[in-house]
Amino acid sequence: MIKVEHLSKSFGDLKVLDDVSIDYRPGICNMVIGASGSGKTVFLKTLIGLIQPDAGSVSYNGKDLMAMGFREKTRFRQKIGVLFQNSALFDFATVLENVMFPMDFFTDWSRSEKKDKAEYCLERVNVKDAENKYPNELSGGMQKRVGIARAIALDPAYLFCDEPNSGLDPYTSILIDQLVSELTKELGMTTVINTHDMNSILEIGDNIGFLYGGKMIWKGDRHSIFHTECKELRQFVCANSLARNIIEQDGAYKD
Amino acid sequence: MNFIDYFRMDFLSFLNVMIRRFLMNIGRYVLFLKMVFRRPEKWKIFWKQLIGETDKLVLSSVLLVSVISVFIGGVLVIQTASNMQNPLLDRMYVGYMVRESLVLEFCSTMVALILAGKMGSNIASELGSMRITEQIDAMEMMGVNSACYLALPKILAATLFSPFLMLLSFVLGIAGGWCVVYLTDIIPLAKYIAGLKYCFNGFYIFYSCFKMSLFCFMISSIAAFNGYNAKGGSLGVGSSGTKSIVTSCILILMFDLIVTQLMLY
Repeated sequence: MIKVEHLSKSFGDLKVLDDVSIDYRPGICNMVIGASGSGKTVFLKTLIGLIQPDAGSVSYNGKDLMAMGFREKTRFRQKIGVLFQNSALFDFATVLENVMFPMDFFTDWSRSEKKDKAEYCLERVNVKDAENKYPNELSGGMQKRVGIARAIALDPAYLFCDEPNSGLDPYTSILIDQLVSELTKELGMTTVINTHDMNSILEIGDNIGFLYGGKMIWKGDRHSIFHTECKELRQFVCANSLARNIIEQDGAYKD
Repeated sequence: MNFIDYFRMDFLSFLNVMIRRFLMNIGRYVLFLKMVFRRPEKWKIFWKQLIGETDKLVLSSVLLVSVISVFIGGVLVIQTASNMQNPLLDRMYVGYMVRESLVLEFCSTMVALILAGKMGSNIASELGSMRITEQIDAMEMMGVNSACYLALPKILAATLFSPFLMLLSFVLGIAGGWCVVYLTDIIPLAKYIAGLKYCFNGFYIFYSCFKMSLFCFMISSIAAFNGYNAKGGSLGVGSSGTKSIVTSCILILMFDLIVTQLMLY
C-alpha cells in the first residue's frame, strides 16, 4: 500500500505538483494519467524518491520514504522495480547481464542461480532468445520487456512504469499492458503506471488518478471514466477515437 | 543565465553571481566525491570494474602517449641543439636539458593536458549519456550507489596507473631524442648519452609521478562530476565534455605551479 499525501513540487516559479493525495493498493494496476507536461513523470519520480518534494509525504506500508536515511532508503529501493520511459537498459551489458545486474549486487546467489533466475524472468516476458544481445540490437518492444524482466528480477513489492508503451505499436502496447497486469496479479505487487495512452487505460486501469495542471482532479476506474463530470478529463478522453465511439454508443457525456 | 545577461549586470552583481556559482560548484563537487569514496557494495564487482577501467583509460592511452613522446623527444633535441651553438657550452648539455625538460614538465604536465582531452571526454560523455538516458536513475532505483559504482573505478584507475604512462613517456622521449641524434648526428651520440646521465636526481622522477597522479585524479574526478550531473539531452553531454576539458586544463596548469613551488623549493 502506497499513501501519497499533499505532495507538492515546484521548479522555480513553475508549480508541477500541487497538493496531490492518493492511495495505491496492491494486486491492481494503479494509473496516473494526464496530458504531456501535466507532471506525471515528476510525480512518479517523487514517489520513488528520485525527486525531493517541496511538501507532503509518500509512505510505503506506513513508512515515510522522505524520513528514511541514505542506507535505509538504499535497502528499501531493492523492493522497488522501475520500468523507465526509454527502458534505461545498461548499454555496457547484454540482456542477460542487465537482468542479473540487481542480483549481482544484492544477493549471494551463485552465478548459475542468478542465471537461472534471469532466464526465468526473460522467459516470463518472452525475450529469452535475446539474452546474449546488447540493448541497441533490440526493438523498442523488446527493450521494454527486458526492462520489465530486470524490474521484477528481485521479486519487488512495488512496480513503477513510466509510460510503458510510449513509442510502441498498438499491438505491442497491449501485450506489454497485459504482461504488466498479469505480473501485478501474480506477484501481488503494488503497481503504478504513468500513461496517456487511452488503450492502456481502458485495458488495465483499475485505479486511475487524472493529473491536470499539477493537481489530481479526478480519481476513479476505467468504467467510471466514461461517466465523469470532470470537463478536463472528458476532453482528454474524447481525444481518442476508440473512447469517443464507446461514449457515443453508451450515450455518456450527454451534456 | 546566458552570455548576454552578464553584460546587462553591473560589475558587483556579476562578481556576486560568479562567486556564488563557483562556491556552489565546489560544494557540489565535494559532495559528489563524498558519494564516490564510499565502500563499494561488492568488492568482486569493484575489482572487475577497476581492471576494465584501467584498460579503457590507461592502457588505451599508451599508443597516443608513445607517439607524442617519441616525436617530442626528437624535437627537443633539435631545438635544444640549435639554441646551444656557443662553443663554450659542452654539447653534452643538450642531452642533459632534454632529460630535464622531459622529466620535469613534458612527461607529466604536457601528457596530462593531452590526457585531459582523451580521458576527460571519454569519462564525461560516457557518464553524461548514461545520465540522460536514465541509466544512472535506474541504478539508483535498484539501490546501487551509482556514483561509487561508476566513478570510483575510473578515478582510481586513472590516479594509480597514470604514473606508468609518465614513465613510458619519459623513456620514449629519451629514445626519440636518441633516434634523432643517431640519424642526424646533430650532436655526437656519446655526448647525448653522457648528458642523459649527468647530475641525475631521482627525486625528479618521484615529483613527476606525483604530479601525473594528481593531474589524472583531477581529470577523472572533474569529468566524472560533469558527466554525472549532465542535463539537457545530447547538448548537455557535449557541454559536460567541454566543461571537463577546459576546467581540467586550467586546474592542471594552476596546480603545476603550486606543486612545483611546494616540492622543488
